[in-house]
Amino acid sequence: MNMRNNIRYDNKIAYIMLLPILILLTVFVIIPFVYAVNVSFYDWSFYQDSVYVGLRNFSNVLTDPLFTKSILIGLRFAFMVVPAQLLLAFLFAHVIKGLGKRLSGFVKTSIYIPTIISGIIASIVFAFIYDYNAGLANYFLELIGMEKVAWLADVRTALGSIAVPVVWLGFGITALIMLAGLLDIPESYYEAAELEGAGVFARMIRITLPLMKNVILYLLVIGFTGAIQQFELPLVMTGGGPIDETLTPNLYIFNHFKNDVLVGHSIASALLLFLVLGTISAIIFKVLNSDKAVDG
Amino acid sequence: MRLKEQFVKIVLYAVGLLIACIALFPLLWMAIAGFKGKTEVLATPFKFLPERWLFENYISILQDQMFIRSMLITFGGALLFAVLSLAINSSAAYVFARLEFRFKRVLWVYVILTMFVPGMAILLTSFIVVTKLGMLDTMAVLVLPGVASAGHMFFIRQFYLNIPMALEEAALIDGAGRFKIFSHIFLPMSYPVFVIVGIGSFLGYWNSFVWPTMTITNVNLFQIMQYLATFRSERATELGLLMAGSTLAAVPTVVLFLIFQKYIIRGIKISGLK
Amino acid sequence: MKQRRTKRRVLLWTMLLAVSMLASACGGGSGGNSATGSNGENGGNNKAQEEQSTGGNTAAGEKVKVEFWAQKFEDSTDAWFKKWTDEFNKTHDDIEVKLTIVPGDAWAQKLKAAQAAGKAPDVLTMNYSNLAPSAKQGQILALNEYMDQSLFDDLYDNVKGFVTVEGKYYAYPKLVEPSTVLYYRKDLFEAAGLDPNKPPVTWAEMIEYGKKLTKNGIYGVSTAQTAGDLGWSSWGLQFNSAGHLPITNDWSKADVVNDGYKELLNFYKTLYQEGIMPKQQLAAYADATPFGQGKTAMQVSGSWSIGLFRNDYKDMLDKIGVAPMPSIDGDQTKTTATLGGWTLVVDGKSKHPKEAAEYIGWLLGGDPNIMIEFFKTSQFSKFSPRKSVDEAMNQDPDAKNDEWRKLISEKIIPYSEAEPVYPWDISMFFATAIEKAMKGEGVDKALTAAEKEINNFIEKQQLAGTNPK
Repeated sequence: MNMRNNIRYDNKIAYIMLLPILILLTVFVIIPFVYAVNVSFYDWSFYQDSVYVGLRNFSNVLTDPLFTKSILIGLRFAFMVVPAQLLLAFLFAHVIKGLGKRLSGFVKTSIYIPTIISGIIASIVFAFIYDYNAGLANYFLELIGMEKVAWLADVRTALGSIAVPVVWLGFGITALIMLAGLLDIPESYYEAAELEGAGVFARMIRITLPLMKNVILYLLVIGFTGAIQQFELPLVMTGGGPIDETLTPNLYIFNHFKNDVLVGHSIASALLLFLVLGTISAIIFKVLNSDKAVDG
Repeated sequence: MRLKEQFVKIVLYAVGLLIACIALFPLLWMAIAGFKGKTEVLATPFKFLPERWLFENYISILQDQMFIRSMLITFGGALLFAVLSLAINSSAAYVFARLEFRFKRVLWVYVILTMFVPGMAILLTSFIVVTKLGMLDTMAVLVLPGVASAGHMFFIRQFYLNIPMALEEAALIDGAGRFKIFSHIFLPMSYPVFVIVGIGSFLGYWNSFVWPTMTITNVNLFQIMQYLATFRSERATELGLLMAGSTLAAVPTVVLFLIFQKYIIRGIKISGLK
Repeated sequence: MKQRRTKRRVLLWTMLLAVSMLASACGGGSGGNSATGSNGENGGNNKAQEEQSTGGNTAAGEKVKVEFWAQKFEDSTDAWFKKWTDEFNKTHDDIEVKLTIVPGDAWAQKLKAAQAAGKAPDVLTMNYSNLAPSAKQGQILALNEYMDQSLFDDLYDNVKGFVTVEGKYYAYPKLVEPSTVLYYRKDLFEAAGLDPNKPPVTWAEMIEYGKKLTKNGIYGVSTAQTAGDLGWSSWGLQFNSAGHLPITNDWSKADVVNDGYKELLNFYKTLYQEGIMPKQQLAAYADATPFGQGKTAMQVSGSWSIGLFRNDYKDMLDKIGVAPMPSIDGDQTKTTATLGGWTLVVDGKSKHPKEAAEYIGWLLGGDPNIMIEFFKTSQFSKFSPRKSVDEAMNQDPDAKNDEWRKLISEKIIPYSEAEPVYPWDISMFFATAIEKAMKGEGVDKALTAAEKEINNFIEKQQLAGTNPK
């Protein structure tokens, strides 16, 4: 109970309260993970002796140009989705905050709706919207006298076309999280700034953004790791095509998992993806820094 | 000035309604497609409404006891999952946000690393673990493996970091224990966050498909998405049925959200404390 | 400060190490359950037999439980499996087969996880191209000792080859279906001034007709146009154009750059670039719905599409013509299709291989009427691998007078080839070359790239000389 320098150690209660999460994560994530690392050094056969192959699974993955390409596609995809999602959500959160109570309730409820729809249903709906002959997207293009676009079959548009439903699925929850953060900022801060003559924009930069840092950090990490790992939508909508343009890392891994006789290649590539995700998140933590965010 | 404010208000309303429409369109389309025959769902030219309203899809699903059963079982599982998720992840979030203890940083990294483990990496090995634990074909295999979530813990913690220290310092001086501070000060202030995390957990459980399909073979424990998958196959997807089923399966989550969304609005008053 | 950091890092690694020891303890060390699988196929068999024979003696009232996982197919197929499995259970006092229908989207995950944990079902569905690799891994059992030779004698010779790996039968086939059939609209042919009884026989004709038929929002041709679909649907045309697949028979190197393949790529390229087929697929290759809806004039798809037309587009049936897929030079006796299809196999670790095989033999190899009912519910869109079933079916007026069934069994199936058993990656390399050509890349460049990729793959996977066939 040493309260000097405002540091007091509460080892016992801390460990007790952490115990459930530590046990569950250890049993269901860490042990399977370490086990997976272990088997990735083998030609893991379920029916015959597994053969130790050292790093061959990893070198096979790393020398596969398709794997590298899929990582780059994942990154490109994340750079399309995450900024769009955060920006839209940030604006929407402000719109909702400015709305009257009754309408804001309605809008809030409806923007949350996409979140509850499963990815498979969403991809069926959007594949229909992008239908070449009869989809809504081309229907509108033809209305304004433009040429039809092969949204999902053209290398230039395919990845972007998949990014749209991903943003659509996620912006509701992102906006609500932003809103919760916004509402946490005391109105008096803004009033004070307004008295000092700060404009809308200046208030946003100087008050809103810094105070929302915790929330934005969370959304960035979750957004990036989630977008890079996207897999259901390209699986259903494009199957990774055209010419592998929408082959996200997880789709690459899944294709190998499904089609290979041995699973070593898919496990090794999934482990390498873990390194990529960890690195990106570490970078985000570093850039947004704050001992507060990392050390607590 | 007043005119300008009026104008801004009208624009805001228009934008708000537009967003709502864009967000709602696919759900409406899905619900209406449930009234269409199986060849009509993707028929061209595009029609929003069916030529003839068929109620067969909805009726046949509602009369299917398997469907009702799996809805109920999934609902129960999802509720349990959400409650456990909140309890486990929020207490860890509180510890990491407020307490000082030995190995804090190590444990933090240990927990956060699990956030980046791709599902495919541990798909087989975690299945082996649950098999060895004898959990196949039980509710435990659906609830336990995903309930501790570094992502949710991280999210709750980010909100706890914003709660002013002043509140608990007074309690500490009064001699309150750390757990009491958590349960009496943090938990009551958590519900805007809890609503988001709780609904997120609920949905995560509700929409999961691959894991239940892998671990549940007993039809009496079939989960709702597992059941809906029986309308899909590579060559003959029963689109009308699938849409009707998906619409019905979305009802509980929509209702749940309608019930809880007012708590998010009430969150405004809480923040007035500061 | 720095010291403390190192200390922490050491601690983290210690923890991970401790956990990893725990993990390997529970995994049995050397990467998985080699302990349970180490006795290989033969050892496994004997052990299983022993257990079975003791089980059989004591089991006066106890039924032997056989787990059976079937991939989700059309509803009629699911119903057929259910009906006849119930019938089997009713007529067999000592065996109880438990059927589970697994959604296709999760089949790979569910099955591989079960295999990894030693929980695979006794009986499962498997397609022809997976048989050889699975047999080589010991994942499925040879059926020779569990099933009567006469059951296999009933199979057509080519299908016998499909289920044979290194001289043994590893599966019993349920059906065959040619991957490539041409469906065309007779009424649209007439309207475009073409003879509705003379479908195209060469690729050049197909392009020419396709151009004439492409109007009023209807596309002249629809066929596979994504790499995933081209991967398997173009096997027949690969045989057609070059007489072989893009890899030598001993799997030692790529065999890609030749005039036949160049013409094949040009064929797809012309169809795509001239707008004869849509710029984006209207549906996957396996799903001929757009043709049923009247959006295309010629549709290339598998024989199974007949079932779709007959069930869902009855008013179109009079207007539909069926023909073999055009050939590179018009020779209709050259291969244009591969024979896909499904079989039942017994898991390599099954504890009841005898009972499992008995069920398979009863269902697929027994009373011809069971299979005839299946082919009827499939609207004769699938074909029998068994002579006796065809003989019995030919007594049935519905089957006998079915023109489409006759045409496919006489003009397509006899010239069809087996599906290749090499890794899927190789099919994808070639399919990607086709797709690149369609999207504008030079044919030579695309083929050269595929050649390089296939050769790299062969080297990395040490594929040379491993062809099990």
